[in-house]
Formats: sequence, structure tokens, C-alpha cells
Amino acid sequence: MITKIATAIDRFTEFTGQAVAWLSLVMMLVVCAVVFMRYFLESGSLALQELSSYLHATVFMLGAAFALKRGSHVRVDIFYRRWTARTQAIVNVVGGLVFLLPVCGLLLVLSWGYVGDSWAIRETSSEPGGLKAVYLLKTLMLIMPVLLSLQGISQILKSLTVILNHDSTTPVEHSEQML
Amino acid sequence: MVEYIPLLMFLVVCLALMLGYPVAFSLAGTALAFALVGVFSGHFDMAFLNALPNRLYGTMTNTTLIAVPLFVLMGVMLEKSRIAENLLHMMAALFGGLRGGLGLSIVLVGMLLAASTGIVGATVVTMGLISLPTMLKRGYSPALATGTICATGTLGQIIPPSIALVLLGDILSTAYFQAQLNMGIFTPKTVSIGDLFVGAIVPGLLLVALYCIYILIYARLKPDAAPPNAADQAPVSLRLIATSLLPPTLLILAVLGSILGGIATPTEAAGVGALGATLLALANRQLSLAKLREVLNSTTEVTAMVFMILIGAAIFSLVFRGFGGEELVTGLFTNMPGGVFTATLVVMAVIFFLGFILDFIEITFVVVPIVAPALFVLGVDPVWLGIMIALNLQTSFLTPPFGFALFYLRGVAPKEVATSDIYRGVAPFIVIQLALMALLALWPTLVTWLPGKVF
Repeated sequence: MITKIATAIDRFTEFTGQAVAWLSLVMMLVVCAVVFMRYFLESGSLALQELSSYLHATVFMLGAAFALKRGSHVRVDIFYRRWTARTQAIVNVVGGLVFLLPVCGLLLVLSWGYVGDSWAIRETSSEPGGLKAVYLLKTLMLIMPVLLSLQGISQILKSLTVILNHDSTTPVEHSEQML
Repeated sequence: MVEYIPLLMFLVVCLALMLGYPVAFSLAGTALAFALVGVFSGHFDMAFLNALPNRLYGTMTNTTLIAVPLFVLMGVMLEKSRIAENLLHMMAALFGGLRGGLGLSIVLVGMLLAASTGIVGATVVTMGLISLPTMLKRGYSPALATGTICATGTLGQIIPPSIALVLLGDILSTAYFQAQLNMGIFTPKTVSIGDLFVGAIVPGLLLVALYCIYILIYARLKPDAAPPNAADQAPVSLRLIATSLLPPTLLILAVLGSILGGIATPTEAAGVGALGATLLALANRQLSLAKLREVLNSTTEVTAMVFMILIGAAIFSLVFRGFGGEELVTGLFTNMPGGVFTATLVVMAVIFFLGFILDFIEITFVVVPIVAPALFVLGVDPVWLGIMIALNLQTSFLTPPFGFALFYLRGVAPKEVATSDIYRGVAPFIVIQLALMALLALWPTLVTWLPGKVF
């Protein structure tokens, strides 16, 4: 049962993440289009420039849960990497409950009114010729913590199964990646 | 006692990070815990956190930071399409006949690779996988081989266009602006990412030159440690040079040149660079649909990771400020005996040691906004400070036993290579790093001269 829920969430996160990843490519093309127009057609399009911002924000806000699922959020692993899978799982359960979920809650609570105000007036770009969807952009601030906490729950559930079946030797899914 | 809560917060967060839960959430979570306790004990005003949505929105719409995913995309593309690998083979063939030639080619390729990816982990791992076995097979001493690879891998911090400098530039420009306003200067001077890129050129090239000189001298003194290879002396065809060396080099030079020449913003140059890398991968028939997906997924993961740390650090710094942390730090620095010099030295020492446990991004987002304004008030030049921080972290990543680069290389090095070999190998490079930092401290114009000329 627990595994089923976790698998379902994982699948959902993997789907959203991979979908969002394509937007990086679109963003690259949009930025290039802006450059091309500026230098060769000598015209600028604020809408296109704002579009690249929108795409960028969408990628990292919606990609956060994806990165969590794939274990790409950097850890200080001086001790962590020497611990057993069980100890690592305990860290992940405690960290998820004490750090990740409360922070997502904080982001939701703080952003709620901010995003609500924007929706109330259907906020548009302050610049003439800009995009008319600022309220949609700001809505990412609510979607991000929701997706992230959903994936956080999946990570906690997966770690719990590791702790409960402590005879199993399967390591927790994680790969360190750092800049 | 209450005024020392920010310091306590800093200590607790360092301890919490040691547990190994992802940094972004550990930072934010610890700060949140402090804020909640503070609210109940009456030492913290929740209103400080109300600035968060606006900060977050500011990050989402910050056009300079769009350069980050684009540079990541460019780097991952060059790495996964094996362009880097071809480069290395080609350079090895060019210099292989020389004593220490293979080492030299690794430094040069590493420089290009570093310039294109700016990701220390990726560079060290790639170079370690491709070149370490070759070097060992050709009879290079394990110490020299591993030392060269580690040191070269960290060049990504300092050689522009590096992601590290983009992030640092963004934070420093805000801090510099704020510091001047606080000093009552209402027509503040600005510092841009371009300034940092230009400022990094002279120190970066000096560093590469010093690495090369060291390897050549070492090879001359100990011929057994870095033998020339006759098999490598096969003539290199012009066609090979034209197809493997020229395109990536031109791409990097074009990206850098357009930023430095003021033709394009870093974001625009990164976008065009990413497109260039994609076309290059296509031209080399290395870009299948599966590979493209792999590149895009990996770009998304890295980007999301960087920006989550930025958000986590923003929450941390809001709470830190709410407890009066800023005044505390400024007070500590201004009352420090020895003035600017001691203050800078202390900051550098702190950053060096933090470099053992924290990565570049965390230090840039958490520590720099706290300490930089205080140093600016004392009259430190922002570009110089940025370059010194980058060099300092680079050194920290090389220093045993905790340096990141060493871990990465240990992870991919064959078992025969002893960890002590790696330590002995990097030691001379650490000395080179420290020497260069001392040089820049004595003659800051090495950093500030070129930006003054260009802009």
C-alpha cells in the first residue's frame, strides 16, 4: 500500500519533471530569437523577453520536486555517504518531516495572499507590450510547494519502508550531484 | 545574549547540514524553527518573513539568472555529446611527444572544459574518467596525474564564463548597491557579472600558466614521473584539428567575447552558446532524441537544485536579519583591530573552512550577502572581492581531507591509486593557489586593471 502510493507520486513527478524539462529547450530558442531580432531585425519584443522569464521560472519551480525525486538536491555528505541505508533513511524521514514539509507549508501560507491579490486584479505586466499573465506566473509560487511536499511525502514513505524492512539491503535512491 | 542568536543560528545550521539532508531544505527548515521559537519568546517579528513572496517573485523574474540554466544546458550538452572527450584525445596527440606534454594538454583541455561547464564535479569526473587511466598507462606518477586533474577540474570556478561567477556577480551587485545606500551614497556605482568575467581573465590565465609551468618543471626534474610518449607523436591532421579542436574553442571564445565586448548580456550569450553546443552535438552526430532528453532532464535537475538553494538561503537570510544578524556582523567587522586587512583575512578564512562542508552555491547565497556589505563599507573593491572568493573556494575544494574535488576524483580513480597519492599530488597546486591569492592581495590591480580598460 505504502509502496503503491509512493510509486504513484513518483510517476506523477517524473512525468511533470520530464515535461517541464522540454521548456528549457524552448527557453533557449526564445532567448536566441530575442537576440536575433535585436541584432538583425533591430526590433525588440518585450513579450518574448518576458516569455523567456516565464519559461525559466516554470522550469525551476516545477522542476524542484523532480530534482528531489532524482536525488539531485545537494547534500553535505561527509558523514551521510558512510552511513547505512537505514541511517540514511532515518535522516530522510526526519528531514522530510522537520525541514521539507514545514518549509513547503510556510511558502504556501506566505504566498497565498500574495498570489490571491494578483488573481483578484488579474495582474498583467507593468510594461506596455508585456505579457498579461503575471497572476499565472505568480501561481507557480503555490504549485511549487504543493508538488514539492507531494514528492516529499513519497520520499518519506520510501524511506519508511527501508527502515521497516531493515534486513533489506537496497540503498535509498540517491545520487549526489554538486556544482 | 539575545544579540548573539544569529551566530547560534549559523552554528545550528552548520550542524544540521552535517546530517546530510538536502541543503536547500535544511537551511530553510532551521531558519523556520528559529523563527517560530523567536515568535513565541518575543524575539522575532513574523513580519520579517512577509517579504518572502516578493523576494521569491524577484528571483523568478530576475533576467540575469536565466543565464544559469542556459550555461548548464551548454555544459551538459558539450559533456554528454563527447565533444570534451574528443578534445582531450586530440590535445594529447598534439603535445604527447613532449616531456610532461600529456599533463599540459590536460590543463589546457580542462581550462576549455571549465570555461564551458563551470561545474567542478562534472569536470573532475569527466577528466578523471577519460584521462586518468591514460596518464597512468603512459607512466605518469599517480600523484602528478591526480593532482593535475583535481586542480584543473576546479578551474571552472574562476575561468569565465563560469556559473559560479554569474551567481556571485548577482549577489555582489545587490550587496554593493545596498552597502552604498547605507553609507548615504545615493548615486551608487554598480558592479555587473561582466565586470567579474573581465576581472577573472588575468588571474585565470595566470593560474593556468602557473599550472603549466609547474608541470613542465616537474617533468624536467623528474623525467620518470611524466614521460613523453612516442606513440603519441603521430602527426595530427589539420582536418582533425579543424573538426575537434576548433568548434568548441570558437564557441567558448564567441560566448565570452560577446559578453566582454558588450554586444550581448550574459543571458543572451548563454542562450546562443547553448544553441551553438546543440548544433555542434548535432553536427557530430551525437544527439539522438534519447540523449537530448537526458541533457534536458539533467539541466532541469541542476537548475532546480541551484534555485532551491537560492530560495532556502533567502529564507535563512530573512530570519537572520530579523534577529539582527546584519548589525552583529557589521559591528564585528568595524570593531576589528587591523581594519580592512584583518576583516578580509577573517572572511577569507571563514569561507575557506566553510568550503569544506558547503558548495560554491550555498556559500555565495548564504555567506556572501552577510559579509560582503560589511567589507564594502570598509572600502573593499567588489570585483576584487568576487575573484578572491572564487579563488579561495577553488583552493578550499582542493585541500585535503575535505576538498570536494578530491572526493570526486577518489570516486572515479582506480583502486591502485592511493588516497595519499592524491593528497601529495594536489599539495603543490594548493601552494600555487595560495601564491596567486597573495599576489592579488599585494597587487589588486591585477584584477581591477582590465575591467577598468574594457568598460
